Amino acid sequence: MSRDVVIAGYSETKIDVRTGRSAYDLGGEAFALLLQSTGIAKAAIDGLSVNASISEAPNPFFAVYMCEALGLTPSWINFSGLGGASSVGAVARAAAAIRDGLCEVAVVLAADAQTNANRSNYGAYRGEFQEPTGVLSPPASFGLLMNRYEHQFGLKCEALGQIAITQREHALLNENACPKLKKPLTMEEYLASRMIADPLRLLDCVMVCDGANAVLVTSAQRAHDLGLKKTVRIAGYAELTNHGGDQALPDITESGFTKIAPKAFARAGMTPGDIRMFHPYDDFTIAVVMQLEDFGFAARGKGCDYVLATDLSFKGKLPLNTGGGQISAGQPGLAGGGLNLVEAVRQMFGEGGGRQVKDASTALVTGIGVIPYGRNWTVSAALILEQ
Amino acid sequence: MSEAARRPAPKENAYVDARPFWEGARAGKLVLQYCRDSGKFQHYPRPVSIYTGSRNLEWREVSGRGKIYACSVVRVPGPGVEGRLPLSIAIVELEEGVRIIANILERKPEDVKIGQPVVLAWDTLDGGVPYPAFKVAD
Repeated sequence: MSRDVVIAGYSETKIDVRTGRSAYDLGGEAFALLLQSTGIAKAAIDGLSVNASISEAPNPFFAVYMCEALGLTPSWINFSGLGGASSVGAVARAAAAIRDGLCEVAVVLAADAQTNANRSNYGAYRGEFQEPTGVLSPPASFGLLMNRYEHQFGLKCEALGQIAITQREHALLNENACPKLKKPLTMEEYLASRMIADPLRLLDCVMVCDGANAVLVTSAQRAHDLGLKKTVRIAGYAELTNHGGDQALPDITESGFTKIAPKAFARAGMTPGDIRMFHPYDDFTIAVVMQLEDFGFAARGKGCDYVLATDLSFKGKLPLNTGGGQISAGQPGLAGGGLNLVEAVRQMFGEGGGRQVKDASTALVTGIGVIPYGRNWTVSAALILEQ
Repeated sequence: MSEAARRPAPKENAYVDARPFWEGARAGKLVLQYCRDSGKFQHYPRPVSIYTGSRNLEWREVSGRGKIYACSVVRVPGPGVEGRLPLSIAIVELEEGVRIIANILERKPEDVKIGQPVVLAWDTLDGGVPYPAFKVAD
């Protein structure tokens, strides 16, 4: 993959519950923070991607409305509807648009106020074929997935707990993390947390919040011309949607990442051993375990053993979601896919503060989007960054 | 269970024309979508065959026999599960080579396990609308 496109800035609002604010207001704050931190003029921005949001779900024109809210006149705009893969997917699409000459400087913006207004309605087959069974929410679907994983490979609760605890320690060092989550967590508390959908516990899950974040995507040359000193290169990207979607009996423990991990590494010219930080999409702890396996950090079915044997703290062998991730900083609705992306860039800019990773020269950031009918997650997307 | 369960019956045929499924249910039969090109079932029903992309589809009754592929217990409230908690949910793999998400009736949720054989049973939505479920076959 040619390494001519970079991320040259990031921003993030504080994450909190029931803010009483709209996605526009939160998005506007992230946008203003991005201009402030990069020092570039609004007029320099000619590309915009906006994640679909839960709070503005009924508006099919949300991205264009956001564009108006920000006073932008972009020559490229994208409405990213890939669920938790929306932000990393949008970075790849922005990079393609920049290479195609459609725009030069793009903002990839994610904003949602899900606890302020949950207006999702997925419609489709769900009313007739899923909802009467009571399989309504992501935890129910992940309970089924975890149960099958446990059957095929075994499940070690302490490993899941260790992920929650490690990420909580990171959140304690993150000034943007949701205040309600900024309390130390012990293994006893994790194991005692109530079952939501067996074997899924409360502390395996994210807490839904409000918030916004953004990154600035441009060419290395344009970043130089704009005087943007801190940049990270987009080294590799791959995505896959609806893996096993033409099968009736797929192995639901096999995610799309098993197919795209080799592609993302090959495009970056890297192997798992070259990755200095892992920022996987973390809606549930089991998703982290499965991705450790899918990307080759652990053998298939051995993710729990790997977690128990590895220091995943920001000081450790493979720093994991060093801002606390969605599990411990909070999931700002469908802006959640940008949370770990922004943290990876922050670390690579050397701005990790009290949780700075010593060697943050490369990062693997992922997105997981949408939960289908009785199968693994629908969208898998992986982005590799390098300094 | 102090709170009476409310299970609103969905608007039928909203996604695709699934009349054979709903008419079958009223006759006590589980009727699923079948791809004539590939000779395979698919569920939930689609506008096209997920195998070939054609609309050469029909509906066929299935045996209602299968086994538990995955299971869980919903323990948190949500619309339509009031009074039903803890609720036994499962992905059932039918003998015909297709899976269906369903509730498992007449057994303590904790005692439902992967691999158990199940047979079709019928649940009832509001207004007396029958809805497919399963029970463990001992």
